[in-house]
Amino acid sequence: MKKFHVLTTALAAAVFLAGCGGNEAGDQKPRVAFTSMVSFGDSLSDVGTYAVGAVAAQGGGHYSINGKGATGLLWINWTEFLSATLGLTQPCAAETGLNTIQAVVGAPPVPATFHDASAGGTCTNYAQGGARVTNPVGPGNALLFNAAVPSTYSNAIGQLTVPVQTQIANYLAHNGGKFTSDQLVTVFAGGNDVFINVATFQATVGAGGDPTAAATAAVTAMAQAGTEEAAYVNSQVLANGATHVVVVNLPDVSLTPFAVSSGAQGQALVKSMTQAFNSALQAGLTPSANLVVVDAFTASEDQATNKLQYGLTDVSTPTCTSSSSLVCTANTLIPAVAPAASGTAATAANTYEYADSVHPTPYGYRLLAELVSEQLAIKGWL
Amino acid sequence: MKKHSIASALVATVALCGAGAAQAQVAGQVMVKLGWNKIMPKVRSTELSAPALPGSTIDIKSASALFFTAAYMITDDISVEVLGGLPYKHDIIGTGSVQGVGKIGSIHQISPTVLLQYRFMPADAPFRPYIGAGPTFAKFYGSRGSAALTAFTNPGGPPTTIGGDTEWGATTEVGMSYKIDKHWFVDAALLKTFINTKAQLSTGQTTKARLNPVAINASIGYAF
Repeated sequence: MKKFHVLTTALAAAVFLAGCGGNEAGDQKPRVAFTSMVSFGDSLSDVGTYAVGAVAAQGGGHYSINGKGATGLLWINWTEFLSATLGLTQPCAAETGLNTIQAVVGAPPVPATFHDASAGGTCTNYAQGGARVTNPVGPGNALLFNAAVPSTYSNAIGQLTVPVQTQIANYLAHNGGKFTSDQLVTVFAGGNDVFINVATFQATVGAGGDPTAAATAAVTAMAQAGTEEAAYVNSQVLANGATHVVVVNLPDVSLTPFAVSSGAQGQALVKSMTQAFNSALQAGLTPSANLVVVDAFTASEDQATNKLQYGLTDVSTPTCTSSSSLVCTANTLIPAVAPAASGTAATAANTYEYADSVHPTPYGYRLLAELVSEQLAIKGWL
Repeated sequence: MKKHSIASALVATVALCGAGAAQAQVAGQVMVKLGWNKIMPKVRSTELSAPALPGSTIDIKSASALFFTAAYMITDDISVEVLGGLPYKHDIIGTGSVQGVGKIGSIHQISPTVLLQYRFMPADAPFRPYIGAGPTFAKFYGSRGSAALTAFTNPGGPPTTIGGDTEWGATTEVGMSYKIDKHWFVDAALLKTFINTKAQLSTGQTTKARLNPVAINASIGYAF
């Protein structure tokens, strides 16, 4: 009996130890204790520079499907997803305003106002829709409005389009000329240089200019912009004390509905321009342990090729009925993704890549946030 | 703490039941062992299913724990042995496209195994090699995620958790025991388990992993 007892004791112990214990979240603190995130760039990082005046009246401000939770996701812009996952307070626009042309839009302009340290505020997202790398006039700037040319009327909204160069200068001027080691600094621009240079190309060719020369000029201009962005990161960001800098290169703009609609030749030109920008940016950045370059270009191509792996079903159709997603909400979606009932989330939009012809849906931004997060984790910062 | 008291109860049982004059490893005999076991998974995981960054795979690191067995000699050569032990805690690290992220979580497992063994050499030989085979039941539980796991599966969302299935597998082993005296012996064994599992994230993605661990152990035993 004694032997039998030993056997049963062992068996009982084995079964007992197979016990229980729930699956838990574990330590959710990033490996680097960031206290804030400072963002420079364009509409792809803008969290509400123009959420005032005529844009606010339409419920807009993000270049995506506006309204917190409109598609059932917690956040809209990738900088918001990233801030949340780093445990930071949500980013807010460091400067707001609109140079609206009242006679065209029917709403008054809103003076540009800072909300960063210079105004006693804590907003550190300097990214602005329409912003270029260096040139102060980007898409949506009222200076591009021409009463004689209807296609320029969309510029009457009067986006500030403060370029990345000036965004960084503004930050430095308002923060003692320094970045700190507990900041995550993001730089993501170049798209508006593509759009303006494509417009220049089209105008040149339309006026009888040489298409080959015009294309070369467009590609050269993009390489120049890439070199300039790299120089700002090197000499203005890294050299001024930033120790955690993320530069996101330009996604393949030739895959956007905007470029696709221009035909195969237009797409090829846009791709060359995008690659010229990214190559110059990569070449110009001084390698640094304080710098992570995220390859959004490769990721965007893979998303288009292997969309199902990313949970996407549509990588070509804009979900918004408005031409710019800046004023797109759950109420202005195509029937395929419109909410089933008023007040419910447009969850069907979470399988679409594009909100408008160039900007992602909130889900598309989330995919970018995942990509950036992955690179930060590999770097050991998250 | 209960786990510890069970283990110590077993040790006490081993120590107290030492009466009798049986020879080592003969039919009808009961033997217990207590030792240290290291489990080394040889992982090949599938890519994390959609929606996920492509090429995200995982590796599961080795873990060690106290183990114990109880064996019964059916004949002088054939025995049946039950393996139990304290839980193993394995770190989970990212591989493939997430190579370099380091630890993305951890999971506990317990894998009781029953082995039918054949022992070579005469029953009273001091040195008896043996081979064995039998079923393994693996239960995965008590996982922990991480900031990194949440960040690249659901940035800004609720923390991502990891769920593991319970699985059946098959184990084979080779081992040897060396008799010190009438009761005491030392034992070492090498085990190979064939087992697959499916890990599921709270965000919906799954990955199938072939674990096929190799385990090595060393123990001290007592024959009643």
